[in-house]
Amino acid sequence: MTQKLGQEQVEEKETQYEYTPQGPGLDTRQHMTTSYGHKPLIDQVTNGWRGDVKIPEDSGDYEPGFCDIEDEGSCPNVSRDIVRSRRFRRMLALVVVAAILAYYAWQAYLRPRLLEDWEFKEGFMSGRGNGTYGMARSGDFDGTAIKDIDAALVPGGKADHDGKRRLVFIGDIHGCKKELLHLLDKIDFDSAKDHLIATGDVVSKGPDSAGVLDELIRIGAESVRGNHEDRLVEAAKTMLDDDVDVPSAAITSKGSSKDAALLKHMKPRHLRFLHDMPLMLRIPALPLAKHPGKHHIAEEITVIHAGLVPHVPLEKQDPYFVMNMRSIDHKTHVPSALHETKKGNSKPWFNIWNWYQDRIDRGRSVDGFHVYSYAEWLGKQASHGWFEKVRHVLPSKHNDKVTPQVAVYGHDSKMGLQLHRWSKGLDSACVSGGHLTAMVLDAKGKTEITSVKCKNYK
Amino acid sequence: MRLPFSILLACFLFSPNGILADAPYDQVQDNPTWSNQNLDDVRADKYFHESTFAEHYDGRFGDRKLNYDERRGHLTALMQTYISTMNDIGAETWIMHGSLLGWYWSRKILPWDSDIDAMVSEQSIHHLAAYHNMTVHTFDLHNDDAEDNGHRSYLLEVNPHYANGSLDEVNKIDARWIDTTTGLFIDITTLRRNATAEARGIDGPMMVKDRHHYNYDDIFPLRHTTFEGYPIKVPFMYADILIEEYGEKALSDVYCENHIFDAELREWRPLSCKDRGTCGYFRNPVDGINLPASLDHSVGGSKTNAPHQIAGVPSALHNLPHVGESPRPPRLSQQRPSR
Repeated sequence: MTQKLGQEQVEEKETQYEYTPQGPGLDTRQHMTTSYGHKPLIDQVTNGWRGDVKIPEDSGDYEPGFCDIEDEGSCPNVSRDIVRSRRFRRMLALVVVAAILAYYAWQAYLRPRLLEDWEFKEGFMSGRGNGTYGMARSGDFDGTAIKDIDAALVPGGKADHDGKRRLVFIGDIHGCKKELLHLLDKIDFDSAKDHLIATGDVVSKGPDSAGVLDELIRIGAESVRGNHEDRLVEAAKTMLDDDVDVPSAAITSKGSSKDAALLKHMKPRHLRFLHDMPLMLRIPALPLAKHPGKHHIAEEITVIHAGLVPHVPLEKQDPYFVMNMRSIDHKTHVPSALHETKKGNSKPWFNIWNWYQDRIDRGRSVDGFHVYSYAEWLGKQASHGWFEKVRHVLPSKHNDKVTPQVAVYGHDSKMGLQLHRWSKGLDSACVSGGHLTAMVLDAKGKTEITSVKCKNYK
Repeated sequence: MRLPFSILLACFLFSPNGILADAPYDQVQDNPTWSNQNLDDVRADKYFHESTFAEHYDGRFGDRKLNYDERRGHLTALMQTYISTMNDIGAETWIMHGSLLGWYWSRKILPWDSDIDAMVSEQSIHHLAAYHNMTVHTFDLHNDDAEDNGHRSYLLEVNPHYANGSLDEVNKIDARWIDTTTGLFIDITTLRRNATAEARGIDGPMMVKDRHHYNYDDIFPLRHTTFEGYPIKVPFMYADILIEEYGEKALSDVYCENHIFDAELREWRPLSCKDRGTCGYFRNPVDGINLPASLDHSVGGSKTNAPHQIAGVPSALHNLPHVGESPRPPRLSQQRPSR
């Protein structure tokens, strides 16, 4: 092609050149001819060195680029063909549908669960926020705060190698003596081998508080202190003098005048029984219990009246809240006697309790959770070597320092019977016409729930 | 004591602005120089007045605002002498508001608090008004470090409007326990029966003239406990009352008002420059901000903590058992009193 071009140019411009002797590289070369009349070879070069070369449109030697639209094999053309193909469009449709489904699944299922899990977790994390519940000195408790059960009463324990003993937990009795006797009869209570533990509030509101106390004393039962017992014990300090009349409800309140009237009828043995009630009762893990699960308890049990805040050591729990709480603020872990606080951050305390005990049980670590004393903090520092760090990443069967425990409580009649893996709420609103419930625990750890119907005494 | 009407009338007519105000300056001071009481308040009928230099001081007795350390020492003595006197008289009293929060956290007054809040029952205020109004109680606190050698007098003054149970904008405080050395005082309010709410059928409604409302069962039966080492009472549902007034964070926040709660000592201590990392900075250490690093409160041993005696304890009460002895906070010798 180049040859042909050269010939044409030579033929066209043959007579136009004049020689001007000025040296190479100047465009005055156009004017050159030799004395022979031949064209110089340089004139046959057509690569544009003269500066005004024109490349004809239909050059056959031109190489198309990667993105040249003209070429069939170039990128835009290939892409266009793929996009137009049916197979590609099918795949694209599938991908779009899958993306929409994934987004929907994330929004509707995964994200709420992650958020919920975070809501439970954030109250424990010490990095967030400004302190937590359990740091302050909190209130006083007049009596024994934490009592361990007498070892002779533990089913399967030292005094019971055959595993014949039982523990019976009963919810808020509130002076309903008839129903109590009926229930004890129903479970075949035998004071020689069974031990009754009431979850508090055995007096007030109902017809025969003194009778219930007498019965409990007779069968050797014990109870933890509830909020009504707390009132009576405190009121007894000032209201028992003989010359003090029962103040009327007009200058006090209905509840207070009823408590005062009740106190007037109580004997010293009743008051001593009330005062002996501890805040919390601990029962060790039953030696013969093997298979923990929802209906079997093989772990340590803590009996309280209303609730406990998870992860806070028992000594640091505020006695007022142990006897009154129904919910916990999930950010600060400050409990409340109400089911829902004004601020709206409250959750039922046993939900957070169960989440935490589950976590401990599965062996997940509690690094980064709050600490409540210098000794605890020292313990955490000790486990920061590289080997410990590796060990903590892997879930182990038991977290060394903390073992899960089951909480048995009452107090919340509105929620009624609440049986979960780690918490057993036994208040089924007997005094207002519900049921009186007992949970019987035998030496193998098996739990059995029995209830009787109650009359409405309200 | 009950004053006859003629004397009351004479007081009314001869008082400086012609209004019934707290006892005139020259009648309560032995060595009168001048009074710092702010009597320019145009609201007539206001009985208790505050000083011209600060809100929580009585101008008849104080002439300057105290610095952090002095204020803590004086407030502690104020509380202890008040408790001791009320126990002696037999008046039923309990702590509320900021003092209750301090009790909850550390069984002591919160270090940044500038006053103390106490409440009495209606029978108590009637008894105080009838037999103990304008009484002066003198204590020997065995405090050699203080300028007055720990010999202090406290005045119990009852507002004549105490008998009026209706809401009153200017007379919310029913009595004051006043430190005559510095002008610091305890505001005493009365818990009264709320007759209008009772008429509407609410069970056991109580109210206070400073617009707080409670239920009888929230407060009674009072719990017996200790505060600043002395036996005191607190409301029955103390935790719910605190959450209602201050929110949940008041029971959980460990950083507050430039102080941090020490979980080991179970006390509030001011943030030092060590906590903030600013020990190299130049800054005037007043009011607990940027205290020098050498002041290590957690060590707790300086010569002001006399082991044989608790500073600030009234002499008459040495045979009473005290729980939780509180050493006074170490004294900052470089501190300049703020004027």
